[in-house]
Amino acid sequence: MEEITSVIIWLCIPFAGLLLSIAVMPLVIPKLWEKYQPLIVAAWSILFIVPFAVKYGIPLAAETVLECVVNDYLTFIVLLFGLFCVAGNITLEGEFAGSPRINTGLLAIGTLLSSVIGTTGASMLLVRPFIKMNSWRRRKRHIMIFFIFLISNMGGCLTPIGDPPLLMGFMRGIPFFWSMHLFKILVFNMVILLFVFYHLDMRAYRKDIARGLKPDISRPGTNFHIDGLHNLIFVAMIVGAVILSGVLPGMEAFQNADGTVKGIHILGEVTLGYPSLIEIFIILLAAFLSFRTTNANIRVRNHFTWGAIQEVAVLFIGIFITMQPALMLLKAKGADLGITEPYQMFWTTGALSSFLDNTPTYLVFLTTAGALGYKSGMSTVVGTVPVHLLTAISCGAVFMGANTYIGNAPNFMVKSISDENGIRMPSFFGYILWSMVCLVPVFVLDTLIFFR
Amino acid sequence: MQENGKKCLELAERIYDLDIEVYECVGSSLGRTFTQDRRTCVENLAGLMSTRPQGHLLRSELAMISNMARTIRNPQEKSRIMKKYDDILKEVESLPTSFGQVEIVDQKRAKLNTANLRQKFSKDDHLIICIGRTQGSAGNDIGFALADALRINYYDVEIFAEVLRRLEAEKDSVKDISDYGTGIIQNKYQRGFNTAKSLKDRIREFDRYHGLTREDAIFFNQSDLLCKMAKEEDFIVMGRCADVILANNRIPHISIFITAPFEQRVHRIMEVNNIDYKKAWKLLKRQDRMHAKYYHHFTGLKWGDAMNYDICFNSASYGIEESVDIIERMLNQHVDHPKQAKDKMNE
Repeated sequence: MEEITSVIIWLCIPFAGLLLSIAVMPLVIPKLWEKYQPLIVAAWSILFIVPFAVKYGIPLAAETVLECVVNDYLTFIVLLFGLFCVAGNITLEGEFAGSPRINTGLLAIGTLLSSVIGTTGASMLLVRPFIKMNSWRRRKRHIMIFFIFLISNMGGCLTPIGDPPLLMGFMRGIPFFWSMHLFKILVFNMVILLFVFYHLDMRAYRKDIARGLKPDISRPGTNFHIDGLHNLIFVAMIVGAVILSGVLPGMEAFQNADGTVKGIHILGEVTLGYPSLIEIFIILLAAFLSFRTTNANIRVRNHFTWGAIQEVAVLFIGIFITMQPALMLLKAKGADLGITEPYQMFWTTGALSSFLDNTPTYLVFLTTAGALGYKSGMSTVVGTVPVHLLTAISCGAVFMGANTYIGNAPNFMVKSISDENGIRMPSFFGYILWSMVCLVPVFVLDTLIFFR
Repeated sequence: MQENGKKCLELAERIYDLDIEVYECVGSSLGRTFTQDRRTCVENLAGLMSTRPQGHLLRSELAMISNMARTIRNPQEKSRIMKKYDDILKEVESLPTSFGQVEIVDQKRAKLNTANLRQKFSKDDHLIICIGRTQGSAGNDIGFALADALRINYYDVEIFAEVLRRLEAEKDSVKDISDYGTGIIQNKYQRGFNTAKSLKDRIREFDRYHGLTREDAIFFNQSDLLCKMAKEEDFIVMGRCADVILANNRIPHISIFITAPFEQRVHRIMEVNNIDYKKAWKLLKRQDRMHAKYYHHFTGLKWGDAMNYDICFNSASYGIEESVDIIERMLNQHVDHPKQAKDKMNE
């Protein structure tokens, strides 16, 4: 595909418009937003595609849209869909009562689990147990907000399975276990955030008790058990598929003579690579087998509906398409930003990852860092990247996805599932306010301690 | 005004029923929108409607029910429920915004306080007296003597023992942390809490208390037990935040707080327990602090604050017998309680 070196900035307006629609319309015209969401998303997408086609020609516009839909959006939504289906077939039964102690403990476990099965996997697996445990409570939105902060984002920083940007790094020569170096930063952030969460939750919990709310614990013992446990095999299948999608493109059998990945040619330079096809096939197979082998009653008890995945699928196709000019601008101008220091890498990668897809953002800054001409550091296919810069880029891309609902795939899923189950989640801007108050101070501390 | 109030209550009842119906249709086990009991939720909803029917809170409560309703699988059921929802919404929207007269009285509290004793107890209600007291104020003696005079049951540590039975917990492993007033001289409540436990014991305890701390699990069970007892018998209960528990559950009761000047209490403790001044002083300070902490933790209120009780009492001004007499006279003067009336007639 022809490289675009300069993009008119006003082509980013549809992206801003779509974000504004997601933020404002559910508050101002909730019924219309719900009814016409796909049309609104389509309208903003067309508002980008048509002027882009006029400016750069129809073939390039078609290629740009197909490239992001086929190679970015498709794998993104299939992974989300697969994990959503499989996790919906697992239900934790038992009379656990959500309290600050158990919520904090489970958040800590979930955060670490994110690096094992991915932020999306851990989020989908744990979101319902969290909702169920805390169903007796009134004040519980903060639980889901910290769930997004920790499990849906930060926890994914330890392995390439955790979050897609790190998988991209792994595909470009960064060792699989290198991200374990981020453990100390993760623990530092976890300690602060869990401390804040515990006290916030204790306050809310005490207010609930004072109001006379109480869990039903009249019978001794929790009778804890998991129904649909065999679905963990399908979770493992999906995790395996994600790893394969990172490993296979580097193997000769999947490469053409020019080093590009083999695949099905679609249009111009747009090709759906075989590794992606294999990933999609395995994920869909896992979802299918999960549905075939699990009693439908489990899904009913889990209040499994297609609403959440449908909403995410609709919104994110628009986001993926309309953010293209912003990404092109970033690719074209990223190296000229004069970013050379770790704190600059951390904040710039992070700020952009909060609104744009964190994977291309990570790659832009990894490439920028690789081109700085350092002689020592991590050897990658984009050049030698000093460890302190790589650490800053990785942390920025993974951590700051938590800043907004659209920063990382599972964020919006968790919001949608919570909305469907009686939890009043904050609006788009309301959530940003939470992240400004709770996350940004932690990131400032990270900067002072780790990225100076 | 009254008609509007009735209308709000009727609408609130329908909203509450709709929530139940939606939850049943969905078949979920993840929890409903309204988590409290019917009466509390209905009253809260009616309150929201009568004060701010177009307000954000009410709208968001309704939106949460509709969120869930939209996920009903059966199209006919979904359409039926959504029609109900729309009808309710229209009626809520048509409520006048100005009929909520600004009143100083807290209706919920007024229904439960001593000034309204005549209206307080219906024929079906039992006479329940909750006594909070500071250590050394002879609150326990007054409570016990009052129960004797009124010929009703007196509960203190008995409730704790029953809760332990329900939780199937060993007595030795759990101490009654709300029991600050039954002659604790040593660090009784700290013993047993600090003993080292094996992992197996911890897991067993975690399971037994549903993942909650022991203190919380015991409090929730005590709450259940008190509400259950309130439906069955007349009684006096000492401490245990019973006044707030019963108020939260809309159970009529009389709350009394008994205290006495600090120096007076110190001397009583010295005498009763045969300890020196310094020890008694330290003990009282610590127990007052822990008692206040316990009460605040579970109720969010300030322990001993006159605003939270129907009657506050300085026992040093009257002594045990006279205190009992005064409370009894107040009750007999105001309460037209069926049981009391019956007893009087028998006499």
